[in-house]
Amino acid sequence: MKKEHRLRYIIKEGILDMFYVWKDELKNVFKDSGVMIFFFLVPFIYPLLYSFIYNNEVVHEAKMVVVDQSDSYLSREFVRRVNATSDVQVVKVCSDMKAAEKMLDEKEAYGILYFPSDFSKEIHKGNQTEVVLYCDMSSLLFYKAFLLAATEVSLELGAELRAHNNPVSTEKMQEITVNPIPYESVALYNTQNGFASFLVPAILILVIQQTLILGIGMLGGTAREKNRFHSLVPVCRHFNGTLRIVLGKSLTYILLYVVVCIWVLLVVPKLFGLPQVGEGWTILLFLLPYLFACIFFSMTLSGFMTSRESPMMVFVFTSVILLFISGVSWPKEAIPPFWKAVGYFFPSTPGIQGFIRINTCGATLNEVAHEYHILWIQAGVYFVLACVIYRFQILRRSLLDQAKSDQ
Amino acid sequence: MTLQQSLHSICNIARREIHRLVERPIYIFCMLVAPVLCIIFFLSLMKDGLPTDMPVAVVDMDGSATSRNLIRQLDAFEQTKVIVRTQSFSEARQEMQKGRVYGIFYIPENFSVKATTGKQPTLSFYTNGTYLIAASLLFRDMKTMSVLAGASVGLQTGQAKGYTDAQIMGQLQPIVIDTHPIGNPWLNYSVYLNNTLLPGVLQLMIFLVTVFSIGMEIKHATSRNWLEMGNGSLTISLLGKLLPHTLIFTMVAFLCIAALYGFNAFPLHCGWMPMLVAVFLLVLASQAMGVFMIGILPTLRLGLSFASLFGMIAFSIVGFSFPVLGMDPTLQALSNLFPLRHYFLIYVDQALNGRALYYTIDQYFWLAGFLILPFLIGKNLKNALLYFKYIP
Repeated sequence: MKKEHRLRYIIKEGILDMFYVWKDELKNVFKDSGVMIFFFLVPFIYPLLYSFIYNNEVVHEAKMVVVDQSDSYLSREFVRRVNATSDVQVVKVCSDMKAAEKMLDEKEAYGILYFPSDFSKEIHKGNQTEVVLYCDMSSLLFYKAFLLAATEVSLELGAELRAHNNPVSTEKMQEITVNPIPYESVALYNTQNGFASFLVPAILILVIQQTLILGIGMLGGTAREKNRFHSLVPVCRHFNGTLRIVLGKSLTYILLYVVVCIWVLLVVPKLFGLPQVGEGWTILLFLLPYLFACIFFSMTLSGFMTSRESPMMVFVFTSVILLFISGVSWPKEAIPPFWKAVGYFFPSTPGIQGFIRINTCGATLNEVAHEYHILWIQAGVYFVLACVIYRFQILRRSLLDQAKSDQ
Repeated sequence: MTLQQSLHSICNIARREIHRLVERPIYIFCMLVAPVLCIIFFLSLMKDGLPTDMPVAVVDMDGSATSRNLIRQLDAFEQTKVIVRTQSFSEARQEMQKGRVYGIFYIPENFSVKATTGKQPTLSFYTNGTYLIAASLLFRDMKTMSVLAGASVGLQTGQAKGYTDAQIMGQLQPIVIDTHPIGNPWLNYSVYLNNTLLPGVLQLMIFLVTVFSIGMEIKHATSRNWLEMGNGSLTISLLGKLLPHTLIFTMVAFLCIAALYGFNAFPLHCGWMPMLVAVFLLVLASQAMGVFMIGILPTLRLGLSFASLFGMIAFSIVGFSFPVLGMDPTLQALSNLFPLRHYFLIYVDQALNGRALYYTIDQYFWLAGFLILPFLIGKNLKNALLYFKYIP
């Protein structure tokens, strides 16, 4: 038996070649400033930018104008209390709707609170009375702030009125007639219903996948432009086995992304005080298949990139779609089946779902088992596909090489 | 150079550009496929306007007819669907962490007995704030349910005392809020998001394609030839090159407007013209911005990175999801640098609220003002086209 055909020899050489590929790819990454942008600069800057944009979490002091036709003690008290909430600021009290509408047109206010002239009269008659709230719908958060503040005040004032109208013997009795079934609401995990705590963790996970696709895509595209026969693999003795190439390259990426992940998923949330109640080990165990899936997915895609810059043209806009398909902002139950199925092709879909539930809601691996399994399946499938792509490229290269030397 | 000569050069360059566009499938993908794909995706994703039947868990510690009635009523709300009933809170919390429910409605022990005997049992509800849209929809339904539960007890007591329903309602809830969301009374999320998301995708693709098409001239060293066709004038060369882009993107933009206001019949209180003009100006402004980007960073990868960054950040900084007024003052000022921000303000004033043009006209001027950008960077760009060597 020839030395080259012994299993031990093949394995030994394979491992050595793998490390050669690893070193070679590492050099490629650090030599290429374009790739460096994606692997380091983008993951560094984007999370900071997004956290900065959404850092205020909620809207404070949304501007509201009041039209008070009732001009009574009660209406003024109502306005005073609305103004006292942190959500709303009453900028002006107008005498008629025309003036208030003009203020909306000029963007000096985003909502109108209107008291009809019989507002106070109806209450004193013991009838139900209405306050009308008009909202500019350019932002739902303004609408939410106005509605919450007005509702709170109406309930509070209403309870006091009731107590005043029906005097009873004891304070406890009072309490019972006024409020037979009290209720309390609790916002779990994101206690102030803040925007950053809601969106930024999803963006963080997405950034990891997208930068890997762009960076690895760019490496692939560059290789295709540079190498002989526009092949993905260079003509070199060490690049003769599929496994050693795929494993060697992915080893490079995973080592680099350990660093990136520490920054994106550990430091940034700490810096901006985003909720993070997940267990370190759980997050780590979850990220493992996510990184594998992303890397092999990117390597598969990179096989189709024929030029250096094409990944940016093709993949940047998908971020918007992927964010919505992941089911964070648009609930996954409301996503049509077709798009849901499409979502399963991308590691970001289970990645985002699982990560925010572990990180923000404190779920254990058991509770994200569904997503965890999908990620491992994706990692497996894309690993095989990446191997197929590279196998094909190696064969193509050797064929072309052969043809050339025959000439 | 006479006007006729100039027109002739522009035509020639435009013809050359059309060949270049057809040659590379990537242009067709970025100019037509990607925007149309996004239009189809987002409009079909949110076709219902509001997500319905969001899953909640009910913890029923009472297990009486009253509590079951309460659960049935909660389930009857359009946005809410009770999918599990558990015996303990921790079980329900686990369901939430599994992602199966977005809310928990908690009915305490001996609820019905306590309610009828005046012992004030407390109803509690929990929403998962990590899913903001689902949480706020469920919050609304569960809160209404809790208020109604209190009211029904009050109603029973009042009826027993012989009051009329109107009297009782006046007692139970003396003041009610009558809400009018102007322009979008259905609180339709598709209206709310897609009116800005889709033009945002368009803007991003215009940035990328503009930068790419000019950068490729440098990369493949065809830029000198291109400038010569324009008799050495950058203005003419740019006009000729970008004219076909303008036509295609305007077509796509109009298609997008047609899909939003025609096919989906979203609120359009201003008539078609103001929005068609706005979206056309958005196309021009984005192209000007693209020229500026490659002018200031004539390396293709840097130019494209800049375009991607700017295009992606635009989605957040225009303030259609989180209002600009809620952001840091620096960001409020920076938001003016994004064409999409001005388009968004036009859309709010015109299509959504139907305000007089007087209040919006400055935003149109802002958009038109972006056309100055290429002139600021002209010299730099020309130098790059003449002397710059492609660095990978």
